[in-house]
Amino acid sequence: MNQWMINVQVVLPVLFPMVCGLIVLCLNKKLSAGIRNAFVLFSLLAELLLTVFSFGAKGEVVLLWNLTKDIPVAFRVDEMTMLFSGLLSLVWLLVGIFSFEYMKHEDEAEHEAEHTKSLSGTVFYGCYLFVIGVMQGIFMAENLVTFYLFYEFMTLLSVPFVLHTMTKEAIYAAKKYLFYSIAGASFAVFGFAFLYGAAGTLSFVPGGIFTEGLPVGKETVLLLSAFFMIIGFGTKAGMFPMHGWLPSAHPVAPAPASAVLSGIITKTGVLGIIRVVFYLFGEKNLTGTWVQTAFLLLTLTTVFMGSMLAYKEQVLKKRLAYSTVSQVSYVLFGIALMHPVALMGALLHVVCHSVMKCTLFLNAGAIIYKTGRTKVTELHGIGKEMPVTMWTFAIAGLGMVGIPPFCGFISKWYLCQGALESGLTLYNWLGPVILLVSALLTAGYLIAVVIAAFFPGEGYDYQRLEKKEANGKMLLPMILFAACVVILGIMPQLVSGLLNETLISTLFQNLQ
Amino acid sequence: MSQIMIWTLLFFPMFGAVLSYLTGRTNKIARNYVVMGTALLEAIGAGVLLWLEIGSVGSISTGVENVLGLGLHFTTDGFRVFYLLLACLLWFACSVFSGEYMGHERNRNRYYFFWLVTLSAVTGVLLSADLFTTFVFFEVMSFTSFVWVIQAEKEESIQAGKLYLGIGVISGLVMLMGILLDTYGGTGELLTSALICVGFAAKAGLFLLHVWLPKAHTVAPAPASAILSGILTKMGIFGILVVTGSKMLHNEVWGLSLLIIGIATMFTGAFLALFSVNFKRTLACSSVSQMGFIITGISMYTLLHENELAINGSLLHMMNHSLIKLVLFLTAGVIFMKTESLDLNEIRGFGKNKPFLHMAFLVGAYSIAGIPLGSGYVSKTLIHESMVEYMHEFGESVLLPYVKTAEVLFLITGGMTLAYMLKLYIAVFWEDGEAKKAPCCKMSSLLCVLIPAVILFVFGILPNRTMDLIAEFARLEETTVVESHHWPVQYFAWTNLKGAVISISIGLVLYFGLIRGLLMKKEGDRRVYINRWPVWFDLEKNLYQPVLLGVLPFIGGLFCRILDKTTDFFALILRKNVFKPKKKHRPVVVGNEFTYAVGSFLDGVVQFLNVTVLRKRPIRKSYVEQLAIRSMEADATMRLVGRGMSFGLMLFGIGLVFTLLYLLF
Repeated sequence: MNQWMINVQVVLPVLFPMVCGLIVLCLNKKLSAGIRNAFVLFSLLAELLLTVFSFGAKGEVVLLWNLTKDIPVAFRVDEMTMLFSGLLSLVWLLVGIFSFEYMKHEDEAEHEAEHTKSLSGTVFYGCYLFVIGVMQGIFMAENLVTFYLFYEFMTLLSVPFVLHTMTKEAIYAAKKYLFYSIAGASFAVFGFAFLYGAAGTLSFVPGGIFTEGLPVGKETVLLLSAFFMIIGFGTKAGMFPMHGWLPSAHPVAPAPASAVLSGIITKTGVLGIIRVVFYLFGEKNLTGTWVQTAFLLLTLTTVFMGSMLAYKEQVLKKRLAYSTVSQVSYVLFGIALMHPVALMGALLHVVCHSVMKCTLFLNAGAIIYKTGRTKVTELHGIGKEMPVTMWTFAIAGLGMVGIPPFCGFISKWYLCQGALESGLTLYNWLGPVILLVSALLTAGYLIAVVIAAFFPGEGYDYQRLEKKEANGKMLLPMILFAACVVILGIMPQLVSGLLNETLISTLFQNLQ
Repeated sequence: MSQIMIWTLLFFPMFGAVLSYLTGRTNKIARNYVVMGTALLEAIGAGVLLWLEIGSVGSISTGVENVLGLGLHFTTDGFRVFYLLLACLLWFACSVFSGEYMGHERNRNRYYFFWLVTLSAVTGVLLSADLFTTFVFFEVMSFTSFVWVIQAEKEESIQAGKLYLGIGVISGLVMLMGILLDTYGGTGELLTSALICVGFAAKAGLFLLHVWLPKAHTVAPAPASAILSGILTKMGIFGILVVTGSKMLHNEVWGLSLLIIGIATMFTGAFLALFSVNFKRTLACSSVSQMGFIITGISMYTLLHENELAINGSLLHMMNHSLIKLVLFLTAGVIFMKTESLDLNEIRGFGKNKPFLHMAFLVGAYSIAGIPLGSGYVSKTLIHESMVEYMHEFGESVLLPYVKTAEVLFLITGGMTLAYMLKLYIAVFWEDGEAKKAPCCKMSSLLCVLIPAVILFVFGILPNRTMDLIAEFARLEETTVVESHHWPVQYFAWTNLKGAVISISIGLVLYFGLIRGLLMKKEGDRRVYINRWPVWFDLEKNLYQPVLLGVLPFIGGLFCRILDKTTDFFALILRKNVFKPKKKHRPVVVGNEFTYAVGSFLDGVVQFLNVTVLRKRPIRKSYVEQLAIRSMEADATMRLVGRGMSFGLMLFGIGLVFTLLYLLF
């Protein structure tokens, strides 16, 4: 295959949705909603195919241009790309289908109380398409500079998601989102200036760019920069202490946007940390250092804190946002352990959490769309009104708790296995204990909702029961996501198979 | 071929569940037949498996790799197959009974769906070959059976259901931790086994984790209570038996812990049952107590060298209890169907003129009370004998005092069992009351009560020909059994009858002394049962709930809120200082006409000077504003001065008045 063909193959998934997004934005107002939605659907389907198509060019470096003499902007597809990109295109498509119905009531809706007007659906879909292209860029980046470029781009483009309703609260949340993201990014930039000085390259190499160990005399500053980069990318992943934007931004965004914010956009931070730990510094240079200890401590704190606050929260979407804080840190905990099984658990949980949390946010969206209820206490008996919606909620909820045979169970099992086999002194048992305590809290904040929904109790008036089930366009994605929860639970090898022997042996060099 | 059998057994009830749900949407009667048929076919399947086990095929193992990550593995052995058959038969009986019992309930499709899925889960638990597989099906079982408890959706059922699920989830997680440590940890066996057994103990309703059982069994529909008590608690016991047999055999600490827990459970359960005035609650507490008997047997199995008597006693008591509780709970179901009540005062006399029901209940009652010629007597004797055996063989052991105390408590508890069963029996079948006129149930439901009673009766009178054979066949693969020279036991020899006689005497004393004396009161022209149990004494309400739902979340929540707000707080401080937006300009002060005129003139002059003379150092202030400010300041000062003057004048005036007055007088 010639180079040109490969270039097209890799660049198309990035470029195509951006062009489509621009088209949607340019044809502002002139398109009827139906035609626009059809176009968006077509773009998303095409994007899915293009993504799969790009996997054929695995391992090839595609150079776009050089920023300076030795800082190129380049793409390369590898195993991580395949996992994250595949997930991205799939989730984006399903959530997109859901949004066609949901955004009807969000499209330039008037907010009586505050005399503001939502952004139009055109802006939403323009950004929606643009962001997927940018995120493909993040996942395909061959070096940190490319990664960072697209990462910042994504931050800015995803602001309209948060801003959408244009209420005072939304503007505040958007500001907060920007503040945190930029603070995080500046931490990361601080880190990679030092890294570049020490190594002279920022390319992602499995196993790290320091093959001979960290350069003598620069260990302290390099470890410090690793720590800052972890904190920096941890901002998007909602890791303590930079998690604050999540519970503000998620509840105000429209449900489909919250779903992708929580399901996918937080995962860019995860990939950032994976790239830093396994592809830049190298697992062998970080294992046993204070950076690992600090990282572990932060992730475990976040896991507990997120669940606890979710348990205390009464607004459903905010509860789910705190839950995201907790669950994404499960993934980060798996990375922090720097152990093959734990990494497998982490990657599996990336996918599992995405599908589960998307299901839950779409459920929350369907409930808001059909009944306007946002608080957990108002969901009494909703299982009778919207049985299919709440069944998918129940399945995803059980998955979140980690009940077999749903998918959260097996990823948590791998995480705990990794922790116990890691050979760390304190965290080998503390980690699993905290994961299980968090699972208990998860049961407290999700299963309690399911119980109230399906078992409204004696006082429930069946005569006044109205079926308010969401329509097909909303149900289809929810059902497909819930099916994923079951299928991934029963057959985790669909994902964990990606992390094959060769990849493990290159990523974990000091195991040999 | 025979492996396909196992897979069929595992998934057939799930298929039946879906089918019943679909038919139930249109035809309720067809749905009931689907449910019964599924349970019956499953029972036939289990029978075939039993036949294969007895026959040439022997033990069957199968499994599937990679599913759920670690793969699921199944195996059969005497115990597993026998208990599976028993479970399926119970399921069938209760399915038939449900047809009438659930006749007027809401949400029956939901009930039947989870009813059959739970059968699948129980099959999975029983046939599982490793702890991982057990755990998977055990969790499924906890969640699906939860729906039975909450089925009625009354306030108490919702409370009980939440408690059931809460304890199920917590203990399940502890168990998961145990399994993880066991598989990957390399920590001590004792710790991991204990953690694993917390999950099983919760389901079996052992002491301190028993709080859910009386509540959940009481509120669940009667057929579901029968299964909860007859089969689901046994799944917990099964797990404990597997762990004990494969890891903890002859471990003294383990044996002693089981003994203490067993005796505590046994005694607590019986004690609660004595005080209860609710028919079903008494039975539920009795279930707790009987689990204690079984655990005591398992502890003896752990401690003894020749442990055949102990293990046989435990196994047979499991089987007996399953059948007995089927009879008793279904009787409770009949009573509740016809009288809508379970209060002993309201249902007294219900059993009069109902000879079949009377006989069935009588068989169940005397079996569980351990009266000779009842099947319970046989299993209790075996457990008791194993304790006596221990005292003979290990005369020097440090554990001897414990076992001696345990034996005494064992006999006393046996007496308590008789007392509370007598309380129920006499209240329902001999005393007079309004409930006498209530009709009996349908024939099909009556048969569900009667047939197991007949089986129990036969077991009781011919123990050597029936129960001994079952005990020898139903061996669990994980347990190593050393033959005892006391086996087979002469159940009706005086040495063995002695224990029963002691128990019976204690029981009669308790019944006539405690129950008829203290727990009944004369009200009008008749004596009524009263609940003397102190309301405040409720472990769940006064210890578990406040701690788990109040104190711990409060502390955790406070701690986490502080963490949560830390960064936001920093951001806020930054906003207030570094990122503070500049203050807006003061509004320009205007002043009066005079200052404005003068100021404008001066400004013009200044501007002129700025352009010409003062180019290097231009004057940057506006005289209009300056003068306006000055004039305002002058105004303010004048006002102050004015006020000061008038105040002074006033004081002066007052002083003058005082002087005048002084001068006058």
